[in-house]
Amino acid sequence: MTADMDAGTRRVYLVLLLAPLVLLAGLYLFPLSRVLWLSVTVPTPGFGNFERLLTSSAIHNVIWTTVRICVLTTTLALLIGYAIAYAALHLRGWRGELLLFFVLLSFWLSVLIRAFAWLTLLQSRGVINTWLMGAGIIDAPLPLIRNEFGVVLGMVHYMIPYAALPLYANMKGIDPRLVPAARGLGAGPVQAFLKVYLPMSLPGLISAGILTFIFSLGFYVTPALLGGGKTIMIAEYIAAQINDTLNWGLGSMLATALLLVIFALLAVMSLFVDLRKVFGVK
Amino acid sequence: MDQKELQSFQEDCLALLREKTEGQVVSRRAFLSTLAMLGVSPALFRLTPARAQARELVVVNFGGDAITAMTKAWTDPFNKTSSLKAVIDGSGGTSAKMKAMVESGKVTWDVVDRNLAASLELGRQNLLEKIDYSIVDKSKVRPEHAGEWGLGSYIYSNVLAYQADAFGGRTPKTWADFYNLKDFPGKRTMRKHFDGQLETALLADGVSPDKLYPLDVKRALDKIKSIKKDVIFWATGAESQQLFRDREVTMGSVYNTRAMVAKAESKGKVDYHFNQASVWVGGWLTPRGNPAGKEAFKFMASTQEPVGQVELFKMLGNGPVNPTAAAMVPAELKSMDPGSPENYKIQIPADPEWYATNSATVLNQYLEAIS
Repeated sequence: MTADMDAGTRRVYLVLLLAPLVLLAGLYLFPLSRVLWLSVTVPTPGFGNFERLLTSSAIHNVIWTTVRICVLTTTLALLIGYAIAYAALHLRGWRGELLLFFVLLSFWLSVLIRAFAWLTLLQSRGVINTWLMGAGIIDAPLPLIRNEFGVVLGMVHYMIPYAALPLYANMKGIDPRLVPAARGLGAGPVQAFLKVYLPMSLPGLISAGILTFIFSLGFYVTPALLGGGKTIMIAEYIAAQINDTLNWGLGSMLATALLLVIFALLAVMSLFVDLRKVFGVK
Repeated sequence: MDQKELQSFQEDCLALLREKTEGQVVSRRAFLSTLAMLGVSPALFRLTPARAQARELVVVNFGGDAITAMTKAWTDPFNKTSSLKAVIDGSGGTSAKMKAMVESGKVTWDVVDRNLAASLELGRQNLLEKIDYSIVDKSKVRPEHAGEWGLGSYIYSNVLAYQADAFGGRTPKTWADFYNLKDFPGKRTMRKHFDGQLETALLADGVSPDKLYPLDVKRALDKIKSIKKDVIFWATGAESQQLFRDREVTMGSVYNTRAMVAKAESKGKVDYHFNQASVWVGGWLTPRGNPAGKEAFKFMASTQEPVGQVELFKMLGNGPVNPTAAAMVPAELKSMDPGSPENYKIQIPADPEWYATNSATVLNQYLEAIS
């Protein structure tokens, strides 16, 4: 707001701001606070539900599966996303744009459609196995899907745009003359990349990594469809507690814990990058 | 497809009917005209203010095409004689919604389509009205289907289905064969929700049917873990059928309704039987403080008539719960009726009592064991 704004205009602005704030508070913050409240009041008041975070082997199992898959997904998505972003920036003319277009294309496809596409491609009598067996390369179908491999594959595919696009934005800000300058001063190509380019792109890597990890934590459909029922991540487990066991205290505790982890990750991320930039506010 | 983690049997019947509808077994037009007659779409019901119209009785099922089936079998005949108009709300009567409704004191539902185990589980949490047997006729169901808070409405089973040509002319007859990967090679599929699954493991392990309940959970889970590597767990009925269609599995522990369709579409290459199957009973229940009061039980009583039950069996594949209705099932469909005397006696009724007490804990143990 500028200093010379008159009081009337200021009031209009405030009212305009108030409406969305009330809406957010009523439809988002209030229900959310109810969820937090449930986690410390049901079935008995106290931190009994949170104790189960430490004591229940079933919950440890779910958390371990979730963390393992999310770390794997994030790492692979970052590697591939980094290569794509780098290539898109350094390819000449339309080639770079075409590459980005393909990244965006998969970004626009529904998660369900992608999961079913992977099923069609990778199941025992799917396109890939049929072709490999027809060509005599393998005798029995490869277990490509309905296991953890399938889940990670599907999730990496989904997360690549989330990794590649922030990295691309970050790399665009790196002065393109720095690497040639390092080369001119006697660094080899690998050395120039490791000592000059990689450190410059590190903030991008960290923010893309945390973003990818946070999104991966909440995956539900992909593990359910591609995991053969044997990969149960935290979102699915929470849904079972709310809908089936009616153990709302446990479900809301897990949701609360997940939310706290995400806030913590965002706090870490804010040390490296401007969060408002990452979420497109600025 | 509605990808729910733990799809209920009712939701699956709808998905099944929807698939059949695309194949013109039930015409799309009939379905749409029913919706038009109702004047609303099921989705809209959820947006209307949380109060039933004064002269209505709200029956909740899992929506979509079951509105057609239950309208024809049950609400239309009821509305001919009743002063209240029964309408179907297809938004799905999940336990979570009922609990939220009753606890907030804003109950809008009168009759809900679930099963007997759920009736005990919710009834004990004081979320349901007791069935009024001065209105509902106890003699029209088997004694075990007349529950304190739930009345049997139809029968479905968890059966053994198999690829008939996968084992060199041999046929898997028991759950022991299901767990025998050496003589009956190939992948299996089981349900991702444990309803009816632990029973297969214990029967395969030699537990006699009359000693099945209370289920020995640890023993069952160990048995399931021993073949887990070769099991794909299905979340929706459609998925279980697809696994047979794609020949991803050679045997499965699936709903009889899905097995029936898989058999028909594969022209017998997929087959199934009711031997050692666990038989389940769909149940009507009434949330505590329902708006139409005792009228809910009048509706339940009207659904006990054999004619409507046979009608529903023809449309959805789940068997009549009224034993006298079995005789009215057309001869060519009799072998598919899970409630026929021949089929019923070779199956093992799931114990609602055991499930009501243990569901919440054992579901989590099951999820832990299979993941």
